[in-house]
Amino acid sequence: MSPDSSNAREWYDLLDLFMPADAEAIAKATDTISDALARLEVPEEKRLQVALAVQEALANAVVHGCENNPSKEVRCQLQCDSQGGILVTVTDPGPGFNPLSLSDPRQPGKLFAEHGRGVSLIRQLMDEVHIERADAGNQITMRKY
Amino acid sequence: MDISVRKRAEVQLIQLRGPLRLGPAVDELRQVIEEALGKGDTRIAINLAEVPMIDSSGIGLLVRFLASTKKHGGNIKLVQPSKFAVQTLRLVGVLNLFEIFDDDETAVKSFA
Repeated sequence: MSPDSSNAREWYDLLDLFMPADAEAIAKATDTISDALARLEVPEEKRLQVALAVQEALANAVVHGCENNPSKEVRCQLQCDSQGGILVTVTDPGPGFNPLSLSDPRQPGKLFAEHGRGVSLIRQLMDEVHIERADAGNQITMRKY
Repeated sequence: MDISVRKRAEVQLIQLRGPLRLGPAVDELRQVIEEALGKGDTRIAINLAEVPMIDSSGIGLLVRFLASTKKHGGNIKLVQPSKFAVQTLRLVGVLNLFEIFDDDETAVKSFA
């Protein structure tokens, strides 16, 4: 399921990556996406924001969705529209999670926590974020206008 | 990621080059800081001028060691973080936990 407003736009497929669930593959995939956005002349600030959101989504997919098992695979799809909109979808085979169960990492008692900031960051960097359980697995769809 | 370490006036100056993110980069920085702490060096300044991106794993590492150095009378201070790194630290609410400096020299002097 894509964001409803995206149905009115035509999305062009740019990248469809399948990567093993390990940390080095995350970096490679993030850099590939960043390079693709640079070739599209996406402004630097927007490119960094999308790249970081992708990094966080892939990290969650690898660590939580695939339990750091490199024999499992994560899918990362990049699309854009003619108005500069960017759509990234990350899918992992994990059981998924309830995003409502996540606490705000910016609460005073959580500021020194080592983990737990990824989804919060994604939500702040991107304009629309949807997390759902799809046939293919756990899926996060992130859109930047 | 490239990491270089030098000591000046009892302060460990760590220079990073490359994204600070989950994987070898965070693992290497963790090792460097743990080695410093193991020797009793709790005064650390990290130069981020050439770090275009810090992800939540990098941030988690920084705050974790900020807490441990402070517990032992030290600190971790940041030098020249990029505009985007500052934005990221602010978004997750930890920017104000750190002292930030424009250059290594001023950061070192601040430990005196």
